Amino acid sequence: MFKKFSSEDVSAQNQVKASVQRKIRQSIAEEYPGLEPVLDDLLPKKSPLIVAKCQNHLNLVLVNNVPLFFNIRDGPYMPTLRLLHQYPNIMKKLQVDRGAIRFVLAGANIMCPGLTSPGGALDDQVGAETPVVIMAEGKQHALAIGFTKMSAKDIRAINKGIGVDNMHYLNDGLWKMERLD
Amino acid sequence: MAEKPQPVKVLYCAVCSLPAEYCEFGPDFEKCKPWLLKNAPELYPDLLKDATGKEADKVSEQLQSVGISSGGGRDGAASTASPGDSSSNKLEEVKRLPGGKVKKKDKQEVVIEKVVRNKRKCITVVKGLELFGIKLSDASKKLGKKFATGASVVKGPTDKEQIDVQGDISLDIVEFLTETWPDVPEAAIYFIEDGKKVPVV
Ligand SMILES: [Zn+2]
Repeated sequence: MFKKFSSEDVSAQNQVKASVQRKIRQSIAEEYPGLEPVLDDLLPKKSPLIVAKCQNHLNLVLVNNVPLFFNIRDGPYMPTLRLLHQYPNIMKKLQVDRGAIRFVLAGANIMCPGLTSPGGALDDQVGAETPVVIMAEGKQHALAIGFTKMSAKDIRAINKGIGVDNMHYLNDGLWKMERLD
Repeated sequence: MAEKPQPVKVLYCAVCSLPAEYCEFGPDFEKCKPWLLKNAPELYPDLLKDATGKEADKVSEQLQSVGISSGGGRDGAASTASPGDSSSNKLEEVKRLPGGKVKKKDKQEVVIEKVVRNKRKCITVVKGLELFGIKLSDASKKLGKKFATGASVVKGPTDKEQIDVQGDISLDIVEFLTETWPDVPEAAIYFIEDGKKVPVV
């Protein structure tokens, strides 16, 4: 999604109303309870929250020009990888084997076999249509942010085709956009 | 309330911007290698092994201190080293900003550009005074006073600050600059004319 993404894809940037700000905060807090203790630092109530509307119904949530979360239409908010690297335990994790790393880094969606092979790992509690972080065999830090197409159980059982949509990965356009000025 | 988790500090490669452990999958692992040897050798033990004894020596030397002079015999050995060696040395010299951008050393020069706004109104943009240690807010006040016009410090397109002066003062500004700030030589002042940079003198 962010394969080719740059500030030119941002069509409008607006400071949101307090009510909208509260809503965004609340849905992030619900989606990532682990973030709650630091939510005030990340999204200070006093700093304006900026939402950048981009192509393809994509929204970026920014504080002080730094992209922190994104979502599509009214979908769940997902953290940027730079944020997730700081708070790695806020999302459910799936792991791909080493062989899949370069495909994910090229923007490919995550195929089931890459998750079910000996180098991969699945968390059986993960349902379908859930934001997850994609870890990689032998690596400490997250490789990508994904959105599951099927539950972890189905990924294991079906073991074919795309298991997780690759939303955001290391070195994609959003990664490169450390700040949006 | 749950305890506040401390943010994890991830070591990002200064060359390719990825977490250092992903450099091997990055756009140009070769370019990352000198940086990795210096900053994250434990992540790539093979790199250290690959480096010949001499190269490893050199790296550890650099790690310890810069000022150790090496013996003549050593220099002789260095000149026979592989060509890759010298390029990696060159890489070290280039200053890199986080995110892998190479920091360019700004040349000390003042650039003056006349920008036409509406047909008859124009502003004169002055860039680069800060490179001579001049406070831009100060300079903008002086310019405004001298030319009896509005002058302000604004952020230019590359986030660099510049001074916008209302009106066309390009004829008199050079004299004023060199008189007010003797540190600014006339030879360092340029005009932008038809998109070309033209020295004043
Ligand atoms: Zn690198």
